[in-house]
Amino acid sequence: MTKVKVATAWLDCCSGCHMSFLDLDEALIGLADVIEITASPITDIKEFSPVDVGIIEGAVGNLHDEEVAKRLRANCKILMVWGDCACFGGIVNMRNLFSAEEVLHRYYNTESTAKGSNIPSSEDLPPLITVKPINQVVKVDCYVPGCPPSSKAIHYALAELLEGRIPILPSEMMRFD
Amino acid sequence: MSEITLTINDKQVKGKEGDTVLEICQANGIDVPTLCHLDGLSDVGACRMCVVEIERERRPVPACTYPARDGLVVKTDTEQLEKYRRQMLELIFTERNHFCMFCEQSGDCELQKLAYRYQMDNVRYPYTFPSLPVDSLSDYLVIDHSRCVLCGRCIRVCSEIVASHTLDFGRRGWRTLVGADLEQPLSESSCVSCGACVQACPTGAIFSKVNLYKGKTDECQQITTVCPACGVGCELNVMVKDNNLVRIEAPRLTEPRGPLCPIGRFELLYQTPTRVISPLVRGKQGELKECSLDKATQVIADRLRKTEDGFAGIVSTRIPNETLSLFHKFIGEVVGSDWIDTRDGESYRIITEGIRQFQNKRKGLDIECPIEEILKADCIVIAGANPEETHPIIGALVRRAVSQRGAKLIVIHLSRDVFPLWTDLWLKPRAGSEGVLLNGLAKVLIDKGLVKQEKIPAELVSSLSQYKADEVNKATGIDKEKLELAAEIYGRAERGVIIYGEGLLERDDPNLVTAVLNLADLTGNWVGDRLRVISLKTGANSRGAWELGLAVKGIKQNKPKGLYLLLADEQEDEELLNWLEGIDFLVVQASYHSPATSMADVVLPSPIWAEREGKYVAMDGRVLELKQVLQPKEGLLQDQEILIEISKKLGRKLSSS
Repeated sequence: MTKVKVATAWLDCCSGCHMSFLDLDEALIGLADVIEITASPITDIKEFSPVDVGIIEGAVGNLHDEEVAKRLRANCKILMVWGDCACFGGIVNMRNLFSAEEVLHRYYNTESTAKGSNIPSSEDLPPLITVKPINQVVKVDCYVPGCPPSSKAIHYALAELLEGRIPILPSEMMRFD
Repeated sequence: MSEITLTINDKQVKGKEGDTVLEICQANGIDVPTLCHLDGLSDVGACRMCVVEIERERRPVPACTYPARDGLVVKTDTEQLEKYRRQMLELIFTERNHFCMFCEQSGDCELQKLAYRYQMDNVRYPYTFPSLPVDSLSDYLVIDHSRCVLCGRCIRVCSEIVASHTLDFGRRGWRTLVGADLEQPLSESSCVSCGACVQACPTGAIFSKVNLYKGKTDECQQITTVCPACGVGCELNVMVKDNNLVRIEAPRLTEPRGPLCPIGRFELLYQTPTRVISPLVRGKQGELKECSLDKATQVIADRLRKTEDGFAGIVSTRIPNETLSLFHKFIGEVVGSDWIDTRDGESYRIITEGIRQFQNKRKGLDIECPIEEILKADCIVIAGANPEETHPIIGALVRRAVSQRGAKLIVIHLSRDVFPLWTDLWLKPRAGSEGVLLNGLAKVLIDKGLVKQEKIPAELVSSLSQYKADEVNKATGIDKEKLELAAEIYGRAERGVIIYGEGLLERDDPNLVTAVLNLADLTGNWVGDRLRVISLKTGANSRGAWELGLAVKGIKQNKPKGLYLLLADEQEDEELLNWLEGIDFLVVQASYHSPATSMADVVLPSPIWAEREGKYVAMDGRVLELKQVLQPKEGLLQDQEILIEISKKLGRKLSSS
């Protein structure tokens, strides 16, 4: 039996959703029999090859995030997103109440910062943009909200996909925090 | 009301004319989601969650504002409606900054629950990210406009139930904001900090600093008990987690006795200053030293054995009946003294003597009416009281009667600060001349034929003859026109309620109470066998203590040699502290360290309100149950157990039966 190929990525986030995935513990062993994780922060492979399922954690916060989301979308048949940041913008959204300049100034130049630090500038650094949930950049097929989603919710969503259904979390599994 | 029959979701259901479609759905167990609706408040159809389809209506209508008619055919659960509801939720979520992971209310939020119910796992609209202010200057409350859904529940509870009318919508359209008094900070507004808006808010837009992050409703045990703060006797819903107080809510927010005051809702949660945990006994060098209960009770017993007379007991009116009667027995049978009083015993003696003098009708405290009469009143006279300060829930009822029923409000007080925004007529008598004013008012009522009694007792008429208008003016400084206007308003009212309090009682004159009762009697203000008169009692169980006979004999005129002060968690005042000076042997049983405990020879611990149980009698005679909501701190004994211990040391058996 060929394994279902899965690629994952994390964008503007805390990686908590991936941690929740790893919290599946012994269930991971069973999953490993049926899915193959290709590119992922877990495998430290960053270049996407065509897969069945793409998974994104985190919101789109800069142009690099946008590029990664588009590339993964182009390489997967079904795109699933994990966590409130990817579904709604989440905690990353808080910075939308301020301009990128204000946010960087606060972070690098204020009383809470070590003296002498400067806002880094390099053409390699992607500029900050307004934080957006993934579905405002690319088409998303299914959502697993939660901050982070429980491993139960992640397991439910993966199991549904493996059964050939698009998962929608039942109300009792829904969490926004 | 005539009965009507509707068809809802293909089922025949009954309701009555005047009901809304939502009311009929709820009465028949048909689940319709709501957000801006709160039982007991008027409906405004702001959120559109309760949309239903009604045959021959062109579009879905909100069930909460749609008047039901006989023969209506209603659908509440079609696929289309469910789609609309989810769409409404998405619009609400994108309108402001609703992000649950950094909201205190997450887990206790009606908006979140609806989003879960409708499996809202994404939002199809762009977020607007409005930059909205937060008002956190109030002692208790915070308004975070980012979380507001503009349902208006806070505004309606503030005006319809608390009758403070502090909150309202300001600005227009999508810029609309809930604001206090034309967008003042809450702390500088007319807000009475009752917290009704906190309880009414379905999201985290208005929350309290006092309960912040202490626990979610689901994690708490909920116990309904009675407030220990004043004589009104409000019901409290106390939430407890791991033997800690988390939050206090009103179990019936929208009923007349429903709203709470800042003391009942917030202050009771604070447990400061330091608790008395161990008994203390004054040592040889005059310092208070911790000791065992055994030693402390022995010291008291030894001293009581020596004292032949002159030993007295004063008890807090926060103590429930069972403990009060045991304390009564303890002072009477064990100490052998009839010298016992409550903190507010003086008020009792004045009120009961005033009632006794009133045409010699011996009805006792039962002559007063229940506080619900305030809501039915068309005229309210406040005499020497400031309910908004001392009994805020009475204040709310007065404001409701004035603002919603058009009741006229007459204030007899030295200060203009009593209902300053609501008063129709303010009479300011010179200090000490309140009696002349009340009697002068009675005379005007008789002279102008405004009395409803057929036969006025001749002695009353003759005793009032001295209160001619110019005499009254000379004594009180109030001119004839004002006096006559007051008599007109009160005399012509059909249901005139008089509320009096400490301003009259502190004159130490039962005749003032008699004068108040005479006014009500003359104008026929009887409800059954009760007069429309309410005296404001300070303690939660003042009336219970008085009825148990604990305040019959005053003790403050003569200073006792020894005193047992059962203060519990009540705060002492300057007057009591001054009086305590020079007492030879002072036992203070108290929950908190205070100036009174530092004066004591023996200090004994006492539980706080939440750790006690028993019966209270509210100021209008209702018997209420104080329930124990916390286990006593560090296994402290109950007050009565300590009294029994001391009795044992004296070889006496004290039992609570």
